[in-house]
Amino acid sequence: MKLCSRQILFFLAAVAPVGKMVLMPARLAAAAGNDLLFPALAQLLVQAALIFGVLLLSRRERTLFSLLEGAAGKWFARVVCLLFSLFLLFAALLPVIEQKIMVRSIFYDTIPAHLVFTPFFLFSAYLCSRPLAALGRMWDILAPLAAVGIAGILLLCTGSCDLAALAPAGAAGWRGFGSGMTVTCSWFYDSALLLGLIGRFPYRKGLAWKGALCYLAGGAALLLFLAVFYGVFGEIAVLQTLGFARVSAFFRALPVLGRIDYLFVFALAFVMTFYVILPMQEAVGTVAEAFGSPAPLAPLLSVGVNLAMLAAVYALHFSPSATVSAMTSSLFWIYPIFTAALPLLLALRFGRRHARIS
Amino acid sequence: MQPEKLTGDPARDGAALRALLPAQDILTFRFSDARGRAYVCLFADALTDKQLLAEQVFLPLSRYAGEQTEAHTLAQHTLSPEVRTEGAPERLAEEVLAGNPVLFWEGADEGLVVGTKKVPVRAVAEPPTDVAIKGPREGFIEDVKTNTSLVRRRLKTGELRIEMLTVGRRSATSVALCWLEGTCRAAVVEEVRDRLSAIDIDALPDSSYLTRFLSSRPYSLVKQVGTTEKPDIFCAKLAEGRAGILVDGSPIALTLPYLLVEDFQSAEDNFVPAFRATFTRFLRLFALLVAIYLPAFYVAAQLFKLQLLPVKLLLTIAGSIRDIPLSPSLEMLLVLLVLEVLNEASIRMPKYVGMALSVVGALVLGETAVSAGFVSTPAIIIVAFSGIGLYAVPNLIEETSVLRLVMLLAAGSVGTYGIVLLSALVLVYLVTTENFGVPLAAPFAPLVARDLKDCFLKYNLRSLKMRPASLASPNKRRQT
Amino acid sequence: MHAFLKRLPMKLWILLFALAVFTFFSNDFALVDIQKTALVLAAGIDREGEAFSLTAQIAVPKGTDRTTGGTSSVEIEGKGATVSDCLTDIYARTGWVPKLIYCDLVVLGESAAAGDVFDCLDFFLRNEYIPDACLLAACEGSAKELISSTSAIDDTSALALEKLFSAAAEKSGQVMTTTLREFAIGYYGKSGSGYMPYVRAEQQEGSAQGQGGARSSGGTQQPQQEEKIYSARETAIFSGGRLAALLSAEETFAFSLLEGNVYAGTLTEGGKTYVILQERGSTQIGEADAPAVTLRVDCKLQLYGEDSTSSPERLAKGTLTDAEEARLSDLLTRRLQALWERCARADCDLLFVRRSLWRASPARYAAWKDIPLSDYAVTVLARAEGLR
Repeated sequence: MKLCSRQILFFLAAVAPVGKMVLMPARLAAAAGNDLLFPALAQLLVQAALIFGVLLLSRRERTLFSLLEGAAGKWFARVVCLLFSLFLLFAALLPVIEQKIMVRSIFYDTIPAHLVFTPFFLFSAYLCSRPLAALGRMWDILAPLAAVGIAGILLLCTGSCDLAALAPAGAAGWRGFGSGMTVTCSWFYDSALLLGLIGRFPYRKGLAWKGALCYLAGGAALLLFLAVFYGVFGEIAVLQTLGFARVSAFFRALPVLGRIDYLFVFALAFVMTFYVILPMQEAVGTVAEAFGSPAPLAPLLSVGVNLAMLAAVYALHFSPSATVSAMTSSLFWIYPIFTAALPLLLALRFGRRHARIS
Repeated sequence: MQPEKLTGDPARDGAALRALLPAQDILTFRFSDARGRAYVCLFADALTDKQLLAEQVFLPLSRYAGEQTEAHTLAQHTLSPEVRTEGAPERLAEEVLAGNPVLFWEGADEGLVVGTKKVPVRAVAEPPTDVAIKGPREGFIEDVKTNTSLVRRRLKTGELRIEMLTVGRRSATSVALCWLEGTCRAAVVEEVRDRLSAIDIDALPDSSYLTRFLSSRPYSLVKQVGTTEKPDIFCAKLAEGRAGILVDGSPIALTLPYLLVEDFQSAEDNFVPAFRATFTRFLRLFALLVAIYLPAFYVAAQLFKLQLLPVKLLLTIAGSIRDIPLSPSLEMLLVLLVLEVLNEASIRMPKYVGMALSVVGALVLGETAVSAGFVSTPAIIIVAFSGIGLYAVPNLIEETSVLRLVMLLAAGSVGTYGIVLLSALVLVYLVTTENFGVPLAAPFAPLVARDLKDCFLKYNLRSLKMRPASLASPNKRRQT
Repeated sequence: MHAFLKRLPMKLWILLFALAVFTFFSNDFALVDIQKTALVLAAGIDREGEAFSLTAQIAVPKGTDRTTGGTSSVEIEGKGATVSDCLTDIYARTGWVPKLIYCDLVVLGESAAAGDVFDCLDFFLRNEYIPDACLLAACEGSAKELISSTSAIDDTSALALEKLFSAAAEKSGQVMTTTLREFAIGYYGKSGSGYMPYVRAEQQEGSAQGQGGARSSGGTQQPQQEEKIYSARETAIFSGGRLAALLSAEETFAFSLLEGNVYAGTLTEGGKTYVILQERGSTQIGEADAPAVTLRVDCKLQLYGEDSTSSPERLAKGTLTDAEEARLSDLLTRRLQALWERCARADCDLLFVRRSLWRASPARYAAWKDIPLSDYAVTVLARAEGLR
């Protein structure tokens, strides 16, 4: 079982945008107001360029550990992989908190007991113990599901959307743009996610271009969603912490048809579950590879990671807002180190060697 | 102590074999030819066609006056088309038990095995589990030879290979491994052969025993081997590039590798327009999803997420469940269990009792339970819908009914989120299951775009020019 | 150790299954199941000094046995310092947990509408389990009386009111509806204004005393209550969250036309009724250096009825004469002007002029945002056209 390049493209085009539809729209609206599309667009462009670079790195068909090991030796590679895994776990914290908020809001109609979120970690532990390549097959299923979910939600909210709310362009100014960029760093770390997958799929000709374009296509859907989100909620967009789940509730035929919007919301929630677990799964995979953990210990590692995450989530249970603010406003600088600096350094190192050889 | 080889004295060899087979239905017949040479024949009473044996073997040999008594000479003088020699006494004993008489004569170090087996078989009839309104009515029976003939009749090609294997230390059951040479992947045939050869079991009464040995995940909830009772479907699957297994004593044929989507297809799909077949396949999928999810969502809606139901329906339900002593989840579990019990009982009961049982189940239990306030009307309706949905895909009933109960447990414990997580878990399990190198969830995961033409969608047969790519057949094209 | 780890997954699965079975049978994750829930269909809010009173219309199953269904309702009042407090009061007094997931209507009594309505609507906006799509309305007198009144149209007053606020009614131009989301956007937006339909309950003519017992079992039996007919042809307009003025039925119709909502609505002038087959309305900001607004409505109408006998030819045609077109245009102009004047007097930016100004030019918005609406130059362009 191996990942294939099509599955990578599916991930970039359909699964990656879904992970940014929970808290990000409201946070972005708070930071950049009606100009929320500009920081998102800028982040998408930067990520697309980085993804292009990471996919070029994958031409060698060597994993991150293997690349680092080849460049600077085993121990250096181990240290970097360990740091990278820690970053992935750190990055996973925000989506997990989002998931928790989402679960409370869309799957229940009164505030449920804290325990109801625990099964997520059981599932996560199971998934983390599966080989990373198994994810590719999931993406084959999740990609159309995500596409249907996004399309369905957008369709349902067209009647209540006033795109004029996005005017005037540039009202938030550079300050709003910068603030939006800062805030969204915590959601745009797809290049780092891809970095953890290199070497696990064969490189096909033009994959780098296709990957970047697919990411931009998915990004276009995300931008459309953000535009519609702001068009529906306007000045109260900052209050809508669960953008994707609430935006379609204004469809005029819902009282007649029943909550058909939940079909799409649940579909997206389903996709998100896998997206949220991906960083944890990659962290386990990377550490397991770097330290060559024997087969029966790998599942224990995944259990350990999930127990740690469970503890963190419950420890931060009463300060979700402070946690999200800390991650998006104070600790945002951690993200570019692994999403941009690490891939760029690797590209420089191996790009130069490639040039010398040629 | 077993004799290691034959002595050439028919009386001693016959007695030795008789000692191996002391059962009273093993008979010994002695006669001599025109020159007075002695012959001894051992055969199983009920399994051998004695008239044929007399006409084809005893009569011609009793008139034989030639000098030569080599096996091949005697074989030429019998009138039986199926004669072979065998030297090992234990193999000869197996042949006798299989219904093939064994003949000993003077000076022979081998026994002559004559194919005059006569096994009581029922007639080829329409299988009860695979009824087709439009389509062939023939079904496999318990006799492997008849079954291979049914296959051979539909695939008149030299590429059809039928390899006979024996499985079961005591039952010595004949197993026919069938495939189309050049169409089925050699690796699949080899692996099936290896797995069959590796089976060490004392008896193989039915093909279902083989499925666990042929599955990559033997403890799996999901089946990994295709089954059919119809030779037309069996042949269609061979033609797609699969290998098939026929087991003596079982009318259920096995096909490998198995794809989950197979069970949503029907033999009739080619008798109806393609759009109708597509609609029916989606209907089956919908029915299956209803069967699995409806009870779970009903419980989750009542306990955790009322908004899943329109308010008027919710109020109707609220009115119905007033005064019901059980919690919604327990109520549903109880009704589902009653349904399972009814189902199990009605299958095992004789037909005439089954009818009465349906009446008791449907009217007495259902109506009275509602009137008595044990269960509510909506719960009965939900379970009835789910029960009907279950039978839309008959080959997946076992898997679906277990999954339905587990889904109910998840819904009753954690609500809709439990359903979502369990569905994700099941999906991950399904997509990571492979058998004989073919993923169970293909052509969806991994996506094989070409095969989507004949999964839930059904394209016109004329546009299905290639064999399913998921099976990786070496012979890709099936029509031009 | 290795063998133990090998068998660990199976043991874990068994343990998980046992846990699932345990939670299934214990069945308590602080859940509030259908039996413990009060499904609030509508909420009426009144202000009593510093406190609030919330009247919840709660749906209860209809019928006396398990085999019948339907909707009936009961009204329960809760009091408290906040809306949330009122709900807690209802819970404390009934044991039912009020859930507002199906609450499609919030009615504000006169007292609640007089103050900042977001003092009470804040809860609805804040609560993640309440749909922002619920309709808002203001009413004459107290919301409690309205919610508790018996409608001649439906057993449940909330359902009767929802019929009044249907999309069909809105298209007729007789009522302007709004949702919590739309009202909140207006309130928090640059214009700081909004509107709600204003409901009056009128006693049905010929309604005999004692016939109000039509409400079903399970609901509060009020055999002596009079049956009411609701009317929402007027519109309450809000500025800064406070009730600023009431639009008359004619002004409401003009507002509907400006919003472009009307299809098949009727207009009566000079003893003749005309049906609007197509209309386009807009509010445009002028490009001049001084604040100016243009209200424009274009309609296509057909003669629908007259109060005198017509010839068969006239009946068959239904077209409008030039004089009729001019009269109708004039009528529309007057109504639009009246609408503007009403809003300007109350300084209620109902037509979202300041918001449009902001969207068109933030600089001009900054310069003009404090200029009262009455200082804006207004041009009204109304054109009524018959079928050709």
